[in-house]
Amino acid sequence: MSTSFLDRVSAESQRLLPFDTRNLNLFGLLLVAPGAVLFLSFMLFPIAFLVYLSMTDATHAGTVIGGDTNFVGFDNYVDLFTDSQFWTSFGITWLFLAVSLVIKIVVGLGLAMLLTHARVVGKRYMRAIVIIPMGLPAIFIITVWRGMFSGARFGPFNELLATYNSAVTTLAGVVDQALFFVAVSVPEFLLVDMPVSWLSGRWSAFMAYVTTEVWLAYPFMVIIIVSALQDVPMELHDAAKVDGAGYLHRFVHVTLPAVKRPVMFASILTAATSFQQFLIPWIFNSGGPSRQNELLIVYGYREAIELNQYAYASAIMVTAIAFVGLFMWLAVRKGNLAEGVDSA
Amino acid sequence: MIAVVALLANVIGMLTTWVHQKVTWPMRVARTTRLTLEQVRTGKRSVRDLAKTVAGTAGAIAVLVVLMFPIYWIFTASLSEGAGLMSTEGVFADPSTYNLDAYRWVLFESSFTDALLNSLIVVFVTVSVSMSVVVPGAYALSRHEFRGRKKILYGYVLFTQVGAGLSIATLIALYVLFVNFGLSNNLLVLGLFYAAGAIPFNTWLLKTFMDNIPVSYEEAAVIDGAGRWEVIREVILPLSKPGIAVVLVFTFLAGWNEFIVARTLLSPENYTLSVELYALATAGQYDTPWTQFSAFAILFAMPVALIYFFAQSYVESGLSFGGMEG
Repeated sequence: MSTSFLDRVSAESQRLLPFDTRNLNLFGLLLVAPGAVLFLSFMLFPIAFLVYLSMTDATHAGTVIGGDTNFVGFDNYVDLFTDSQFWTSFGITWLFLAVSLVIKIVVGLGLAMLLTHARVVGKRYMRAIVIIPMGLPAIFIITVWRGMFSGARFGPFNELLATYNSAVTTLAGVVDQALFFVAVSVPEFLLVDMPVSWLSGRWSAFMAYVTTEVWLAYPFMVIIIVSALQDVPMELHDAAKVDGAGYLHRFVHVTLPAVKRPVMFASILTAATSFQQFLIPWIFNSGGPSRQNELLIVYGYREAIELNQYAYASAIMVTAIAFVGLFMWLAVRKGNLAEGVDSA
Repeated sequence: MIAVVALLANVIGMLTTWVHQKVTWPMRVARTTRLTLEQVRTGKRSVRDLAKTVAGTAGAIAVLVVLMFPIYWIFTASLSEGAGLMSTEGVFADPSTYNLDAYRWVLFESSFTDALLNSLIVVFVTVSVSMSVVVPGAYALSRHEFRGRKKILYGYVLFTQVGAGLSIATLIALYVLFVNFGLSNNLLVLGLFYAAGAIPFNTWLLKTFMDNIPVSYEEAAVIDGAGRWEVIREVILPLSKPGIAVVLVFTFLAGWNEFIVARTLLSPENYTLSVELYALATAGQYDTPWTQFSAFAILFAMPVALIYFFAQSYVESGLSFGGMEG
């Protein structure tokens, strides 16, 4: 055995320390340490710093460092939890999470069933196409969707609406021709007022966020559900068919039980990601209009970087981190996320 | 999880088979069609049965077309420079007017090349720093038992899978420190930041890969008189090459894809590609240069997409982190 520098360090520290370091295995620890320290210094240390900041009255970056701050205890949290802006942000974050999660599950389940269906040819290729969003940078996807929702007269969605409008008008014209004895015009409620400024209205912007979030995350759902569906033995379906179970019956009693656990677990992970969604609202319209759609992280980021309310922003971020901690706890309790840790 | 690494790692070896499969698909489609028609003609398969399959497949294709609409739009937009995109009726420009002018603009007239250089500097730091701590860390977590090992692994998995968005929460704290120490507009610091963020996932990935290397190889080496370092150099590292390649790709992506931290910390002269892309997309509410934006976006996403498409069948069958199949 060669005695390297590391071995000698181990031996030396063994001699100096009062307890038996062989249990510690200094060699392994020393190899892991640089990575762990680097990660912690950019993750745990800032979190600790945030907690500290949230209990001061720091405003802009200068005061944070300059030492012009006073310890104010939980004042920021009291202010925060009595601020209607916070509750708007908090509410919209959970609404965003819930709506996008439901749509993700429905879309994921539908696509997965389509892509495992016996009547569909070329499923392998289709699956490759379906997961395309996974292979693209998030910033690419989000800026492209921002273009799709462009409020300009010739934005893609406005063009589609224009096509729809002209189709309705043409149809009404045909009906008008056919029923020559009465004058038929298009009922107003069937036509869309053009152009729609998708990102300027609160709820249309919200639905734009949800659409993009679903498009970002559905491949993950599809992969998980497809692999679960493939594990369902065909005999189970056949047996159910023989017993006279209809399509709906088989869906409820064969398909759903098979995908329940994986879907629940994937839901926890994707919900945690939605909760921390920042890029979509930020790139679409900075959480607007009039700060109505600021998801929690966007809210915190704006308070700090743009409005110079550091202490207040820290309190927001600490609150967000607490909820992410809750998701972590859920993932460990309800999923087998850390299974590999124990088995290894 | 283990499946991901093993399968992803084989990507390079399987490439030829993959290309062959992809290239020959029209021939296979033709053969299948001929056989099916033969079956219908000889009465082995009913027309009704065939119609059901055709309808099912057509429905699936229709769903895919709708889903992939944004991708199609961005591609056609990038080819429509000066061709009346978004100014006439219809979402798409006339195909006969497609041209590559937008790409020419991006490559020769825009800030693409400067931003590319900045991106590459950041990515270089990210990859080299994270690789130098990920490989030893993964080895230690895979092969050595020490105090706190499980805690570190748990922490890594949780932060990777659940807390990925926390970097923005921590960003506001780091921003203060960076500004104060004059490090905010520094590509090397940015690369270091990404490297730190890439450590948990990649260490975990490589660790699970190394878990699959049989311990008997190391035992044999030890019996032959190899020391601790020789075992690592002669056994572990060579056998981990495919896993290391995968980690290399992921750390590259970590630096390449990130946007908001770069945007917050950097000044315009140091903007990376992702920040320039955003600047182009938000240039104005009504006068965003869509064709130029599209070409820029495609050139930015291309390296990432290529990596994924070559690995896609493995991604599809393997992206089941930590036993997610339940």
